[in-house]
Amino acid sequence: MAYVQLVVLFTSAALIIIGLYAAIFVDNIIKKIIGISFIEEGANLFIVAIGYRPGGVVPILMPGMDTSWFAANAAYPLPFGLVLTSIVIGASTLAVMLALVMVLYRRYGTLSTKVMLADTSKQEEYNE
Amino acid sequence: MKLYDQIFDVVKQFKKLFSPGPVTNADVSGSITAEIFLIVSLVISTLLLRHVNVLLAGLVAFILAIVLISNIPLIPKFKIEQEDSLEKMLFYAIVTLAILVTFLYWGGNLV
Amino acid sequence: MNELIPLMVIVPLMAALLISAFSKFNKITKIFAFVVAICLPIIPLASNYGLHYFGGYAPIMDNVTNVMFHPAITYSFTFLQQIFIAMVGLLTFLVIFIYLNKYKEVSGPYLFLLFLGTAAVTAMLLTDDIFHMFVFFEILALAQVGIVAASSIDYSYEMALKYMILGSIGSPIMLLGIGFLLALTGSVNVTDIAAAVHNGLVNVTSPVFLMSLALIFFGWLYASGLPPFHTIKSGIYSKAEPHGAALLQSFTVISMISIVLIMFRIYSSLPIFEVLIVFFSILAMVLGVSLALTQTDFRRMIGFLAVGELGFIGLGIGLGTQFAITAGLFQALNEIMITALLFIGFGAIVNATNEVDTRKLGGLLAYHPKVGIMLLIGGMAMAGVPPLSGFQSKLMLVQASLSCGFPELSILAIMVSIATFVVFIKTFYAMFLRPKPNDLEVEGKEVPRSMIFAMGVLLIIIILLGLFPDAVTSGISNFVGGIL
Repeated sequence: MAYVQLVVLFTSAALIIIGLYAAIFVDNIIKKIIGISFIEEGANLFIVAIGYRPGGVVPILMPGMDTSWFAANAAYPLPFGLVLTSIVIGASTLAVMLALVMVLYRRYGTLSTKVMLADTSKQEEYNE
Repeated sequence: MKLYDQIFDVVKQFKKLFSPGPVTNADVSGSITAEIFLIVSLVISTLLLRHVNVLLAGLVAFILAIVLISNIPLIPKFKIEQEDSLEKMLFYAIVTLAILVTFLYWGGNLV
Repeated sequence: MNELIPLMVIVPLMAALLISAFSKFNKITKIFAFVVAICLPIIPLASNYGLHYFGGYAPIMDNVTNVMFHPAITYSFTFLQQIFIAMVGLLTFLVIFIYLNKYKEVSGPYLFLLFLGTAAVTAMLLTDDIFHMFVFFEILALAQVGIVAASSIDYSYEMALKYMILGSIGSPIMLLGIGFLLALTGSVNVTDIAAAVHNGLVNVTSPVFLMSLALIFFGWLYASGLPPFHTIKSGIYSKAEPHGAALLQSFTVISMISIVLIMFRIYSSLPIFEVLIVFFSILAMVLGVSLALTQTDFRRMIGFLAVGELGFIGLGIGLGTQFAITAGLFQALNEIMITALLFIGFGAIVNATNEVDTRKLGGLLAYHPKVGIMLLIGGMAMAGVPPLSGFQSKLMLVQASLSCGFPELSILAIMVSIATFVVFIKTFYAMFLRPKPNDLEVEGKEVPRSMIFAMGVLLIIIILLGLFPDAVTSGISNFVGGIL
C-alpha cells in the first residue's frame, strides 16, 4: 500500500471519529451539525482513497491511447463517480438541516441543543 | 412483606409518570401490564442462551429475574432513558455503533 | 412490457418535479396529481417480470475467469417487487386522494414530497445496485423530513431536525460500509458481490468483511427504526399529519425489507448476521410494545406499536429458512396496510375532536360509529385475531420459529401479540366506549368521506388477504427460494 493512500485513510478515520465526538459532546447546534458533516466527508474520502493507484493515470481514455496499457495503468474510476453523487446528497442534507436550525433559532433565541431539541414534554414546561 | 410494600409503591410511582394531568385506571393498569410484560419477556429471551450453554442460560435467567423483580418499578426508569431529547438518542445511537463495530471486528467469528 | 419497469420510478419523479414547478395553477395541479396517483398502482400490475439494464449495457462474461459482470445499474422486477410496489402505489393514491379532498388550495411542495418518497422506495425495492439504493435511501430521508416538517403540529420542526441529525450519522456510516464492500470486491452490483462472496473470492472471516456488515447493519437500524432509533421513528409518526404518517410508515417498512434482502444475499453465509437481526428484533418488540402501553398520546402509541410490529418482520428474516422469510415478508405487506388504516382512522378522530390525549376523550362511538368499527377491526388485525391478515402472517411466524427449534421465540411472539391487543383495547375503550367527558366538544364535526373511503379500501384488502393468504404467500415463497 502506498504511503499517500495510508495517510488519506488515517485522515478519513480521524474525520469520522471527530464527527462522532462532536455528535455527543458539543452543545452548540451549528457546531454539532458541522461536526456531523465531518462523518460524511470522512466516508467520501475513504471511498476516493480506494480508487487510488500508485503512479496511475487519470481514467479518461484519450484518442491514440493503447487500450491495454490504459487498462493496466488508469486509476479505478467507479469510486469517483460514486463520491460525486454522495457529495451532492450530503450538501442538500446539510442545507435542509441548517434551514431547520434557522427556523428554530428564531423561535427559541438560542443555539443550545439542550434547550432547542430537548424532550417534547419538557419543552412545554420551558415555554410556560 | 417488603416485596408487597414495594409492589404497592409501584402504583404510587406510576402517578408521577403521567403527570401533569389526571391518572386513570386504564393508564395505571396498562403500566402494570407493561411492567410484567417487560420482566417476563426479557427473562424468556435470555433462555435463548441455552443454544450456547444450558447452565449459562439458567444462571443468567435466574440472576436477571432477581435483579429485575427487586428493582420494580422499571417502566419509569426505562421511559426516562427513551425520551425524545436529542442528547439521549445520539448517545444511545453512538454507543450501539461502538458496540456493534467492536463486537463484530474482534468477535464476529466466534458465533 | 419490460419498458414499464423504469417508468415505475420515472413517473412519480417526473410528476413530483412538474407539480412543484407548476403549483400555482391549482386546478390543473389537482387533476394532474390525481391522474398520476391512479397510475401508480396500475403500472406495476401491467408490467411483465424481468430485468432492466440502464443504458442497455447487458452483463459481460469474462472468458478468462468465467465470471459474469454487470456494468449497468440493473432493476430486477419479480412478484415480490410487483406486490409491494402496487401496495405502496395504492397507499400513495389513497393518501393523495385524502389530501386533495381535505384542502381546497393544494401545496405543490407537499405533493412533491409525497411523490418523491414513493419514487425513492420504489427504486430501493427494484434496484440491484447497492450504491443506487443508498442514493435513494438518502432522498427518502429528505422526503420524510419534509413530510414531517410540513405538518402543522407543534414541535414538528424539532422532531424533523432530530431525525435529520440522527440520519446524517446513520447514512454516512452505511456509505462507509458500502465503501468497504467496494474495496473488497471492486463492484457495487449486489449480484456480483454475492457471487464473489459465495465463490470464495472474498474471505468471509476477514475483519474487513465483518466490519462492512457492522456498518451497513447500523445504517439498516436507522432506516428501519429498530432500537436505538425506535424513539425517533415513533416521534416522526406522531408529528406528521395522519395521512402523511400512514405513508411514512410504509416507507419505513419497505426500506427495511429492501435493505435487509440485499444484506441477506451478501451476508447469509455468516451466522452472526442472523443472530444480530434476531437480537435487535426482540429488543424492538419488547421496547416498542412496553412503551406503547404507557403512552397517553394515541398517535405516539400507534407509532410505538408500528415499531414493535417491525420486530416480527426482522424475526422472520433472522430465522433464515424459506418459510420464515416468506412469513416475515408477508407480515411486512400486512403491516403496511394495517398501520396505514390505524393512522388514517385515528387521524380522522384528531380531525373531528382536535384532541390527541386519550385521557380527555370518550364516548365517540355514538358520534363516529363507522370509524370506530373499522378501527376495531384494524386493531384486531394488528394483534392477530383470526380471520384477518395479521393472524395468518403471525401464525406462519410462530410455526416457523417452532420448526427452527426456537420455542422461546414463539412464546415471545405470542406474548407481544397479546400485549398489542391490550394496548389497542385500552385505547379503544378510553376513546370510544367510556362516557364522554363534559368538556369534550364533538358536535357538528364530520369525518371527511375520503378518509372513510380510504379506510374501507384498506379494510377490504386486509380481510381478503386474511381469507386467501395463498394468493400472495406462494409467489413470495418462490421469490425467497430464488435468493436462498
